[in-house]
Amino acid sequence: MATFALPFCEIPEDLQLRILSFLSPAEISCFACTSKRFASLCQEDGKIWHVMCDQRWGKKTKIQKWGNGQIPYRLLYKTLKGLENLIGFWRLCGRANPAASSPPLVFFDWGPSFVLGSRVLSTGDDTYQVKKTPFLLLGISSEGRTENFLDLVGGNLRSVDDDLKELEASDNLVSVDVNFMGNGHIMVEENRCFINNNLREEQKSSGDESDDLISSPDFSEMYTQLANKTSPGGDRRRQKRKEKERQASRTKWEPEHFLKVADCSPTPTKPLQGLWKGFCEGSMELYLVKYDEVGGIICRKVEDLSLSRYTPPVFWTPKHAFIRSPFSAEEELLLNSRIHISHLAEVHENVVSGILYIKSSYDLVLPGEAANGLGFLRGEGRVWLYENGTFGFGFLRDQFVIDMKRVALEDGCLADEIEASM
Amino acid sequence: MSSSKKSSDGKSSEIEEAVASLTMPFNKILLTSSDGESFEIDEAVARKFQIIAHMIEDDCAGKAIPIDNVTGDILSKIIEYAKKHVVEPDEDEDEEAKKKLDSWDAKFVEKLDLETIFKIILAANYLNFEGLLGFASQTVADYIKDKTPEEVREIFNIENDFTPEEEEAIRKENAWTFNG
Repeated sequence: MATFALPFCEIPEDLQLRILSFLSPAEISCFACTSKRFASLCQEDGKIWHVMCDQRWGKKTKIQKWGNGQIPYRLLYKTLKGLENLIGFWRLCGRANPAASSPPLVFFDWGPSFVLGSRVLSTGDDTYQVKKTPFLLLGISSEGRTENFLDLVGGNLRSVDDDLKELEASDNLVSVDVNFMGNGHIMVEENRCFINNNLREEQKSSGDESDDLISSPDFSEMYTQLANKTSPGGDRRRQKRKEKERQASRTKWEPEHFLKVADCSPTPTKPLQGLWKGFCEGSMELYLVKYDEVGGIICRKVEDLSLSRYTPPVFWTPKHAFIRSPFSAEEELLLNSRIHISHLAEVHENVVSGILYIKSSYDLVLPGEAANGLGFLRGEGRVWLYENGTFGFGFLRDQFVIDMKRVALEDGCLADEIEASM
Repeated sequence: MSSSKKSSDGKSSEIEEAVASLTMPFNKILLTSSDGESFEIDEAVARKFQIIAHMIEDDCAGKAIPIDNVTGDILSKIIEYAKKHVVEPDEDEDEEAKKKLDSWDAKFVEKLDLETIFKIILAANYLNFEGLLGFASQTVADYIKDKTPEEVREIFNIENDFTPEEEEAIRKENAWTFNG
């Protein structure tokens, strides 16, 4: 350790802050105790917390625009630290709302001054194009309040200004809370207090005296009864109020749970891992391939998780070791005689680098098979891993190969919705 | 980056090649430190220093550029780092290459004392070499991690100007600000 270290004080402040920006808040807390000068440096929200936000998220989002540029950076740090756990793919677990507003696969990404959740769906045509339509926006108000908006019908979150105020007024958007339950689990539920607060705001400004007592729709009946006795002229106002309350008390969105898709990308040792898209029975579907702890692989269609317990997997295998080339003549024949199912315009050129035996259902393994492995050698189907990292799969019962492509965060095919054709 | 296009009969056109070589960065740039040391480097390496990249663009770089604020020993270290980082491997595309480079970076700083790292920070800032500036800053930050205030004072020669009461008060205040 150097004894003649250049005093930290001698380098310019912006470089000092730059160094500090790599530290966690707890570590900066410690550094701030070293001397009066550094205590004061670390007290300036616009300096220390700004560089901390900038270092972590400056390239991903416009940190000066959050909260309309009016919230302290210390609050922004805390907000972004929480929100960054959302980034990535999430799957619905148990559908409680109509399918149109409740997507099985969701993708959260950074916006300029908010985090945006989008539904991920196939475009329904013959291409590999995947459609991404914004449906949930998480932001913060100028006053520092978390504000999250859910789009019930689609198309209302397309272009959002930095000031989220206009979203508050929209009828098509529902104010929601996004609760982090830990372990890659979130719950999205309608924010009832938001509605009641807004309602109260409106009532206050309309000058009704009896309104301050109304705290929830349940009591409104009681108080209106009382109000009836004392203010005869309030009938019309009361009816309007009741109507609004009835509307507000109607739940527009049932709470829903989402689980994070961990491991949504392949790795060198797990080349099939992650989210894929391929054509099944004429339409493009999304698939998720997972490796389990005992060396097996399961491929499932992406759908509501609570349903997947009952649906059989698309394919599975207990051992994920690939057979490498050179392949036997039989295997070559098996592949070469097949028709590839992929996008119409594409020419299939992929060279196979590995073959895997797969099964398509949870059939009982016959007593002889497991022991000598012979039954499984025949297998029910194959996965052909291509040199470019994608793969195709097919079964002995038919003559097709379904070619899969990756669904990735940087996927060029994650196209925005063209029109509100939802 | 240059890539030779193949014409339909598979031969690379000689004319195409000649044109490519004219625009290809064969140029060398000469940097001179404040204490008179000279370093000849490829233009691609020199371009890592934004301040020089701008000079090249504005065409006011002669062959020799004086770097008045940086001594030879520091400049040589910076050039060594720049040469290794001319092409940054993409983490997703080439995990292998990224790991090797990270390992080289770790060995690079291991040999340097804190004073040298500070000088590198100042020089990288002057040259506007973003990559090294970030890396060196992170390295210094790593010195501070997991240390008590007293240990940090020792490393950075910071004088403690708090009275014991003041120190206790500020410790409480910071604990609230940064951990609350």
